Amino acid sequence: MIRLKNVNKYFYKDDPREVHALCDINLTVENGEFTLFNGPSGCGKTTLLNAIGALDSIDSGKIYLDETEITTLSEQARTELRLTQMGFVFQSYNLIPVLSVEENISFIMRLRGFSDKEISERVLEISSLLEIDNKLKLLPNELSGGQQQRVAVARAVAAKPKIILADEPTANLDSKNSQILMDMMRELNKKEGMSILFASHDNLIMDGASRVIELKDGVLVDDYKK
Amino acid sequence: MYKLILKMAWKNTFTRPARTLLVITMIAVSMSMMLAIQGLYDGMVKNMIDKNKRSDSGDISLYAKDYRVQKDIKYIIKNAVKIKEDIEKLDGVKAVVLRLNADGLLSTARKSSFASVHGIDLQEEEKFGSFSEFLKDKVNGKAREDALGLGKMSLAKRGAVIGIELAKTLKVRIGSKLIFSTQDSFGEIKSIALKVRGIVQTTNILLDSNAIFVDITLLHNFLGTSPLDATQIAIMSENEKLVNVLKSKYSNLDVKSFLELQPMIKQIQAMMVIFNSITFFIVMSVVFIGIFGVVYVSVLDRIREFGIVLGIGMQYKYIRAQIFLESIIVGLIGYLGGAVLGIIFLVYLRDYGLDLSSFSDALEMWGYEAVITGTIKISYFTTTFGAIITASVLSVLIPLRKIKKINPIDVIKAQI
Repeated sequence: MIRLKNVNKYFYKDDPREVHALCDINLTVENGEFTLFNGPSGCGKTTLLNAIGALDSIDSGKIYLDETEITTLSEQARTELRLTQMGFVFQSYNLIPVLSVEENISFIMRLRGFSDKEISERVLEISSLLEIDNKLKLLPNELSGGQQQRVAVARAVAAKPKIILADEPTANLDSKNSQILMDMMRELNKKEGMSILFASHDNLIMDGASRVIELKDGVLVDDYKK
Repeated sequence: MYKLILKMAWKNTFTRPARTLLVITMIAVSMSMMLAIQGLYDGMVKNMIDKNKRSDSGDISLYAKDYRVQKDIKYIIKNAVKIKEDIEKLDGVKAVVLRLNADGLLSTARKSSFASVHGIDLQEEEKFGSFSEFLKDKVNGKAREDALGLGKMSLAKRGAVIGIELAKTLKVRIGSKLIFSTQDSFGEIKSIALKVRGIVQTTNILLDSNAIFVDITLLHNFLGTSPLDATQIAIMSENEKLVNVLKSKYSNLDVKSFLELQPMIKQIQAMMVIFNSITFFIVMSVVFIGIFGVVYVSVLDRIREFGIVLGIGMQYKYIRAQIFLESIIVGLIGYLGGAVLGIIFLVYLRDYGLDLSSFSDALEMWGYEAVITGTIKISYFTTTFGAIITASVLSVLIPLRKIKKINPIDVIKAQI
């Protein structure tokens, strides 16, 4: 479970250019929810996602992952938290270019010290689910954009984190590939039971999300379940 | 995990193969040149030391007290034959020779020069320092038809072998007759007629320009000294502690090690160490800058990749290990290339040498041979290995600092 209490975030604080990116956000996300942060560009959805993902700091308020307050953790502890509890999917895939698909998928698992047997079983399972099991030996630059994003999703979910944070994962994909990716992520959400948080203004994601949180100018303006 | 890190390091090293191979070639070539120069420097000094030891002092020499200052026949080692026999029984002694030396005047019918006559036993000298190898079968670059060749020389019938520079000064050649005059042990001025049987070049400046070698028995008779005595006992030994043993055992004599007798060679050795160190420093700077350039540019190229992997939870220690490995891979391959090239150069220099005959006069004047041969030491390779690994490690410190400063969120925000 993720809890946010009175979270505030500023950019260019105490500067004429100051932006109040997140204004007093209070929010709880239950385990297994398929949640979308929605809103126009600059509304603060990516900032909120990065704050929950312990990637970015906040200026005031508290963020809890279960009972752990993540805002007060050291940089090393935040890195450890990201490694063990979270999976990330970025807009531009960000795969490691010199590693094969298989090695990219297993990258987090290796960092976490899974055994070779666990890794090979899990890679096969996830890659089959995401229909990239016939691409395992290829390098990322030998794949299409949609396939690369599926590898990125596979990397994020392979080590079974509690939360998947996906920032505009369909932004670089055509509608067909976006639909395929969303279907697969919904399947993963059901099968693996992990919470998935999206930041996107893609209607396709909105249609598939079980909960939508609307943001406008850093303020949470609506929160509804479907 | 480290297996994967090694794989990433290897692949990243050759992401831009031309750039990496250029640096590897630069390291290999500069390292091999450095090894060749080191081998040549050491070879020059080794040759000089070797010839000085063989032709004159050995590893240790014993003289009567004050002989080296006064150079007078009255300062002679009594019962030198007995001392020689005793020394030969000591551990690590390879060869011992007795010599009888006297300064005087050497003359032809038209010219004369100061000279130092050395009474030697040719067979003993052959065992001691392969004396016949100093015989010069060429003078001024021209082969001598009258040269006797190695091992054919004899000092019988008042035969003498003369230093090459002294021969040039007196304008004598093999077969020429000479008169040597000096004061004998009774204080009388005496002369002896000698016939040149050979010309030697030892590259020991003092011997080449002043020495004339005759049979020791002839010289004893001429000077009126006892055949049991000598002015010098020279010893070849591998036992480094022997000099101290002899100093305490023969406290009535002047016992000197090679470097005590040849302080200039000690200075030349020190100078060569400085030359080698300067060369070493220059080459290691090249290695450092080369690897630094490759790693730094590679890190700048991959700032985004590092930011992302830090973002998804990769610990800094793994990135640090990866960068160290990339640098060490470049250094190590450069080292291996340099070692192979270096061995080829060094073996060539050891077997064929570097022919500097055009500068032979100047070189020989300073005690070097015209053909400089190199030496090969394991230490060249071990020291260079250590230095290249150190340079590789040091060269990544600044790139690592750059990575340490990466804030993953800045990289992630910058994504398109």
